[in-house]
Amino acid sequence: MAGIDTGGGHGGKRSTNHEIPLIPFIDFLLCLVAFLLVTAVWSQMARINADARVPGPPKDEPPEEIKKEKQLHVEMKGESKFQLIWKEGNTVVNTIDVDRKAVPVGNEGDIRFPDLAKKIAEEWNQNGSHRGDLKDDKKTDQAILHTDNSTPFSDVVAVIDAIYTPKRDCSVCERGKTIKMPGFNVTFSVN
Amino acid sequence: MSEKPLNRFHQPIAQPGRRLLHHVPLRFVRKKVSGGGQRSVNQEIPLIPFIDFLLCIVLFLLASFSASGELPIDKNVKLPNAENVLDMTDAPMVAVTGTQILVDGTPAGNTRAIVEANRLQRVDELFNVLKNKRELWKQLNPGKEFGGVVVLQVDRKVEALVVKSVFQTAAFAGYPNVSFMVGRLGQQGG
Repeated sequence: MAGIDTGGGHGGKRSTNHEIPLIPFIDFLLCLVAFLLVTAVWSQMARINADARVPGPPKDEPPEEIKKEKQLHVEMKGESKFQLIWKEGNTVVNTIDVDRKAVPVGNEGDIRFPDLAKKIAEEWNQNGSHRGDLKDDKKTDQAILHTDNSTPFSDVVAVIDAIYTPKRDCSVCERGKTIKMPGFNVTFSVN
Repeated sequence: MSEKPLNRFHQPIAQPGRRLLHHVPLRFVRKKVSGGGQRSVNQEIPLIPFIDFLLCIVLFLLASFSASGELPIDKNVKLPNAENVLDMTDAPMVAVTGTQILVDGTPAGNTRAIVEANRLQRVDELFNVLKNKRELWKQLNPGKEFGGVVVLQVDRKVEALVVKSVFQTAAFAGYPNVSFMVGRLGQQGG
């Protein structure tokens, strides 16, 4: 057992050697471990963002010129396909159909749309206007989600998740490191 | 007349024969147990590495300790999961179940009314609660910029009409930066 041995204790004087009481110390540590384990929070919660400020947060300086930017409209109204529509204002630039293939994930009834995610990433790489570091370009490409009123929220989240697949760098979002942020900002269509 | 045989304690003295371990004194046992010239069977438990291990666990748990406790999730809400997610943020929580809307646990509207109306609408009760929260925040933090962030905990079966109505109501009440709480799938995202 642990102790302090000074080699003294001769000549009728009290010994200065001491045994450190390790057993109470271990008991204390075990109590501390048990308490911290019981109160520990193992949270797996996260969030996905949706911003109602279209075309993005207000900037301090006034815009130099009003330029209509491309927006990606994602229609999930059909049963068998999604429709991706690039628009500049009211002008339709391009329309792409994507098969609506839902892939189940886990055993909680979650689904994913990998084909949609892949196509959106391709489209953003070709047509996205804001793909650089967020430090240099604070604006984000806008995606507008059109959905039926009766669509379950889990399907809506699966589509938003697919829209957030393309990522861009952000070196100012966290101090000291560059992280990946979604390339799109999603909002809902009221129609 | 034959003599009566002696009992076993009154046998005549005779030279004993060979007996197993007859000559072994108790000292031998003691010697055997204490090692008998071989390695001792007594063992010291190595307490110092054990304490080091416990200290490491304590430090890890203390580092991950959260005094504020778990994120409050309404027990009637089953959240969907997503891959491309962001870390949680501290903001007012709006729970949307199949029947009601709660702001930080306080009732603030009914989802059935929206479904029955079958049209996008502003939820007045929710609007008032969120607006009061915003004004309270501005009074408590004068001069600071209001972030306008709200976190929606929406049950996975809730219809998109209800989600859009709550989303729009939050935006009207001064919370345009809406986040949906989800479970984390995989390790992607920022």
